[in-house]
Formats: sequence, C-alpha cells, structure tokens
Amino acid sequence: MPLFGKSQKGPAEVVKALKEAVNSLEKGDKKAEKAQEDVSKNLVLIKNMLYGTSDAEPQTDIIVAQLAQELYNSNLLLLLIQNLNRIDFEGKKDVAQVFNNILRRQIGTRSPTVEYICTKPEILFTLMTGYEHQEIALNCGTMLRECAKYEALAKIMLYSEDFYNFFRYVEVSSFDIASDAFSTFKELLTRHKILCADFLEMNYDKVFNHYQRLLNSENYVTRRQSLKLLGELLLDRHNFTVMTRYISNPENLKLMMNMLKESSRNIQFEAFHVFKVFVANPNKPKPILDILLRNQEKLVEFLMRFHTDRAEDEQFNDEKAYLIRQIKELKPIPGH
Amino acid sequence: MDDKMCNISKSFESDGADGSTDQEKEVSNAIFAVDDEHELKPINSEETRCWVNDCTGGYYEDDLDEDINITNFFHRVDSNQIIYQSKKRKLKLVGKYVMGDLLGEGSYGKVKEMLDSETLCRRAVKILKQKKLRRIPNGEQNVQREIKLLRKLKHKNVINLVDELYDHEKQKMYLIMEFCVGSLQGMLDSTPSKKFPLHQAHGYFLQLIDGLEYLHSMRVIHKDIKPGNLLLTLEGDLKISDLGVAETIDLFAKDDTCFIGQGSPAFQPPEIANGLEYFPGFKVDIWSSGVTLYNLTTGRYPFEGDNIYRLFENIGKGDFTIPDEIQDPLRSLLLGMLRKDPHTRFTVQQVRQHPWFTRKPPQVEVRVPMPPLRGDEWHSMTVLPYLYDHYYDDPNEDVDAAEYITEHELNEAEKKQQAPEQSNGSTHSNQSSKRGGRWKKPISCINIRNLPGCKQS
Repeated sequence: MPLFGKSQKGPAEVVKALKEAVNSLEKGDKKAEKAQEDVSKNLVLIKNMLYGTSDAEPQTDIIVAQLAQELYNSNLLLLLIQNLNRIDFEGKKDVAQVFNNILRRQIGTRSPTVEYICTKPEILFTLMTGYEHQEIALNCGTMLRECAKYEALAKIMLYSEDFYNFFRYVEVSSFDIASDAFSTFKELLTRHKILCADFLEMNYDKVFNHYQRLLNSENYVTRRQSLKLLGELLLDRHNFTVMTRYISNPENLKLMMNMLKESSRNIQFEAFHVFKVFVANPNKPKPILDILLRNQEKLVEFLMRFHTDRAEDEQFNDEKAYLIRQIKELKPIPGH
Repeated sequence: MDDKMCNISKSFESDGADGSTDQEKEVSNAIFAVDDEHELKPINSEETRCWVNDCTGGYYEDDLDEDINITNFFHRVDSNQIIYQSKKRKLKLVGKYVMGDLLGEGSYGKVKEMLDSETLCRRAVKILKQKKLRRIPNGEQNVQREIKLLRKLKHKNVINLVDELYDHEKQKMYLIMEFCVGSLQGMLDSTPSKKFPLHQAHGYFLQLIDGLEYLHSMRVIHKDIKPGNLLLTLEGDLKISDLGVAETIDLFAKDDTCFIGQGSPAFQPPEIANGLEYFPGFKVDIWSSGVTLYNLTTGRYPFEGDNIYRLFENIGKGDFTIPDEIQDPLRSLLLGMLRKDPHTRFTVQQVRQHPWFTRKPPQVEVRVPMPPLRGDEWHSMTVLPYLYDHYYDDPNEDVDAAEYITEHELNEAEKKQQAPEQSNGSTHSNQSSKRGGRWKKPISCINIRNLPGCKQS
C-alpha cells in the first residue's frame, strides 16, 4: 500500500508530526480539519509501533525505546491528554492505548514512564479533571486506573487536593461516568494496602468528612456503593487504626443506626456489617456505650425481626445472634 | 539428593488432604502391579533416612492394605486372562450438578469433576463422608471452620467455594469449588529437575503474594502455604487452597499473635520449630512462602532432616544455603523471607517492593506444563462422555457393554488410541477432532475408569 511509504518514518518524525498536528488542533485555525486527520493518522502509526497490526509485528525494543524517549522529551503525553476532547472518537481510544502501553514499559526493575510522570504530575491531575468532561471521562478513567496500579502514582493522586474531587465525580448524574469514577476511587483507596492505610490515618478527618457526604447522598447507588466500600475499608486488617478511630465516634454509630432503618434492604444489610463492629468492640468508649444502652431494648427487638428471611445465610444469623446477645448483656460501667 | 527430596514431597502429598497423584497411584496399583513395586522400592529402602515415612508409616500401611491384596491377586493371574467388562456409564446428578470423573483423593474424601447444568461451568467437588471425618481428630470441626472461612473469602487467587450440598441419607457433604487442573506440586513432580524456570516461578509467586495479602487483609493466617496447596486453573490462575489449619485473628486483636502452628513440617518457621509459646502469625506465611519460592526455583528445600526432630533442629538453627546458580535479586529476597527472627523477616509490603518481585525475568526456558490427567494432556471435560451416553444411543456402545475384554486387548486399544494422538500435533482443530473421536469410541475412557470397579470382583 502506498500509505506505508510514510510509515517508514522513525519515531522522532512521527512524534514531531503528531505534536504539530495537535498544536494546530489546539489553535483551532482553518486547517483544523486537516489537523484532525493528521492526529488520527499519526496516532495510528504510534499505536501500530507498540502493538503491531494484523500483518506486522510490534517494533523492536530499540524503536520503542526511541519512541518513548521522544514522547517524554516532547511532552506529548500531556499535550495529548490536554487536547483529548478535540481528538475524534477513535483517536481518543488510541491515545488511551498508547498511554497505557508506554506506562507499562519496563527496563529491568525500572518503569521509566512512571518515573517520568512522577516528574510531571500535571499529567495525573489533567487526567483526574477528565471526569468533568463527559466526552473524555471514560478514556481518562482507563488511563487513571492503569496509573493507580503503580504505587508512586497512586500516592501522588491520593495526596493531591484534586483527590477530593472524586467525592463529587462518583455522584454525577451520568451513571456510566459515576461508576467509572467510583471504581477508580475504590482502586486508589484499596490497591496499595500500606499506602492507603497511611493515607487514611494521616488524613482521617478530611477524608471521612467527605465520606460522610457520600453516605448521606441523595443518590441510592452512591449511598449503597460507598457504604459497602466503607465496610470493606474498616474490616481490612491494614486499616486497623482507622477502624478503631471510626468506631469510637458516636456520630458514626448514629448514622449506621439510621441506615439500618433505611427503606432499601440492601442498604440495611450493608449497614449491619458496619454496625456490628461498633457493638463487637470490646473497648467501647462511653458515648458509644451510652447510645447503645439508651436503645438497648429497641435494638434487641429490632434485630430479632431484622432480615429473618435470610435463614440460609448461616454466618449472618450467627453474627446477628451474637449482636443480640452482646446488646442484651450491655451494662453501664460504674464510675466511667 | 534429588531422590530424597522427591520422597519427602511424595509423602507430603499423601499426607495432605488432596494429593492428585494419589489417584494416579491407585490406578497404577491396579493395572501395573509390577511397576508399582518399582515405585515403592526406593521409598521403602530410604525409610531409615526419610523422616516422613517414619511418622506416617502407620497411615501408609493402613492405606496400602487393600492394595497389597490386589497386588498379590494380580501376581497370580496371567495378564491376558484378566477380564474386564465395560460398565455402562450412568449419568449421576447431585443437585444441579452432573458428576464427572475422579480428580484426586485425600484423607477427607474424593475430589471429582462436575458440571453445573445451569451455567455450564466446570467445577470440582470435594466429597466428604461423615463416617471418614469422624475418624479424624477434629475432622468435622475443621471442615466446618474451613467452610465458614471460605464463604467469606473472595479473591482471584484464593480458591472459591461455589456451593455446598448435603446428602443426609448417605451422610455425605459436597463442597463445590472452582475447577482446578492440579497443584504446583504435581507439576514439579512431573519434571526431572523438580523446579520451574525463573519466569514461570515468578508468575506464580506474584499471584501467591496477591492472594496472601488479601488473606492477611481479611485477618486470615493460612499456616500451610506449600506447592501442594497452590492450585492452578485452566487459565493458569493460581489459587491458594486448603484452609484446613488456617486461623482468623480477632477483629480487635492488637496484633497478629498466634499460639498454634500446625502446617507441613518442612515449611514451618524457626519460631514454630523451636516450640515458641507465641509468635507473630502473618510472618509464618511469609516464611512458608519463602520456602515455597526456594523450592520452586531450586527444586530443593532450604532445610532437611532425616526425621522430624532433625528437621526441626535444623530449621530452629535457621542456617541454610542457597545454590550458587541463584543470582542476587532472588537471593536477597529469599534471605529476607527466610530470616530467622520473625520481626526482621520481610513483610508482604517489603516482598512487593523487592527488585526480584518488580522485575519479570526474561522467558528463556520452556515452561513446565501441567502433567496430563490419565493420559489426557488437555484435561478435557470428563463429564461429557456421561452426558453423551445418556442422550445418544450409540449402537457400538451396546456391543461394547456386552463384550468382555482381556487386558491384552485393553493395552492394544490404548496403544492405538495414543498413536494417533501423538501424530496429531497440538493444534486446536486437532484437539477438538480428538475429542469428537473420543465420544464415539468411549472404550478408552471406560476401561481406565472401570479399574477401581474391577477391584471388587
């Protein structure tokens, strides 16, 4: 094919051509249509170098290394992400594919692209704001989750101010974007156990203030998903300190008790799994004990009738029986 | 040296709950009585040196009792006079599951293949007989605890309990699990060097650590990590299995202190070998994962001993050597995971950040494949012949059923069946055509399956 005459171009030329095309796309001048075409074409060329095509193998390591080097030096990755909304539909997908492939590159134990992005965190922040633009949100999501697999990058994202935007993104009206944002959010909070535990401990107040809003969300899906994630976070052994702190706060207990009475059975059930931790705690602080004592009879009665149709769920019934026993036996601590 | 290691691992296998080789052994006992003697000889002759035989001798004899009778029985009869009658395969349903063939056998019961007739998912079922369980100390309790534990665990690298069924009349319990083709131990045993190429071991180790991190995050200490308890699915996903001796630490426990250690001796850490009263639990799993990694990459064990006392004495000292061919990143990882002091021993996090962990070794050697099950290297679904027989009336089938076959004919038929297989190569189209042929001519599968039935005659 005659087109393939051009594909002989080395990585340097392709990257240069793509950069020029993206720049003129950004300016939005008369040549925009031509620029759009050039962007798509060069993106395909780069993608083929990395992945190969049906009749061509991917390029050799040396060519790929050159390509990566050109991408770093030209700052093209950031440029592409900044202008992602201007690139056509297929092009957006190609950007995500190229980005993820380059990200996974390894030289020995080093991941050069991860190191590169560490020096250019704008890339991550731009990707995160991608959730605000419907047309690129999902593309940015796939790239973000690939980044979140690397502890160094996850750390930058978690500790950035922009992380708190996720509490907004997971609630947006468009369901697919909200779900995508939630899975990235969950990945960031659970993937790297020690990093996540440290983060939650150090930023406890701020994170759980924001988290409270999710649990009180108008949106049923948000409420249910966030409650489920909360349960997982608290019961993870790595987050032991966080759990201890969470179950010492009477406000949290009140919230869970209210959620036990929600109209949705699924939310009731998830709330049960958080509520049980408050009751099972052998060292209940006075305010917690007071609330439980004040509601002792009502709670026992409530739990007796709670989800009685789950007869086959042995573990649930064991836990429920345990809680009822615990609450029945509660006694005020004299002199405390 | 190699011979000895192999003995130890073999004895573990029969020691453990589900050694898949047990089944093969049983079959070979029945067919090739003479071969079997060869197999047993080295074990017997090394009895004095190999501690495992010492302590499991009783168990061995017990189990071999009936086999020995059979062996004697076969000795007296000329091979071409033995007559088998092919039994018609009867479709058996347990709940919505269609029964397949035996995959393995352990002290608790048999493991068979199953097919979920609603979802068409391949499953494995552990069949537990209450009678057998009662004979094992804490048998019923341990099983109940394991089931409870498995129910709340859900991770890609931990075996998933799909369903449980009870047959009160027959006093049987069916634990339906994800389908796995075999254990790492079985693969190791099938190779002469008893080890994997580095890149293959690396892939399994990554998955082991992922699963282990999850278990620990759920406050579960496995306590019996070893190649025999690491199963593989057809897709090559590793599944940590056998949580029979696992311990869950309390939700509110300040740390992971444990008091009981009860895994396989060769994989126990010094703190258990030295009989310490209490020790940090999570580090036990790190140690045994370290021994596992050592075993996968060298084909040996870091600590050995003629008997369990010597073995524990050696582990207790904590001195071991790593073969010279193991180069540095891996070497330092092994040293970190096998530190005698559990407090300075690596954490999961340290293992994760170790250079050997983060770097994938180049693929130079050929991967060790999963050994074939009863001659079938593709591990094709054993439920299908039953279904086929049930739904299609094969005229040949009736003839076969009425026919008597001598062992000579059986061998011939087997040879015939194997010959085209070998010439077929390994392309996918061939594979399916081979399967197709198999259903129409079920003789090859029946005969082998029929052998245990032949015992009774």
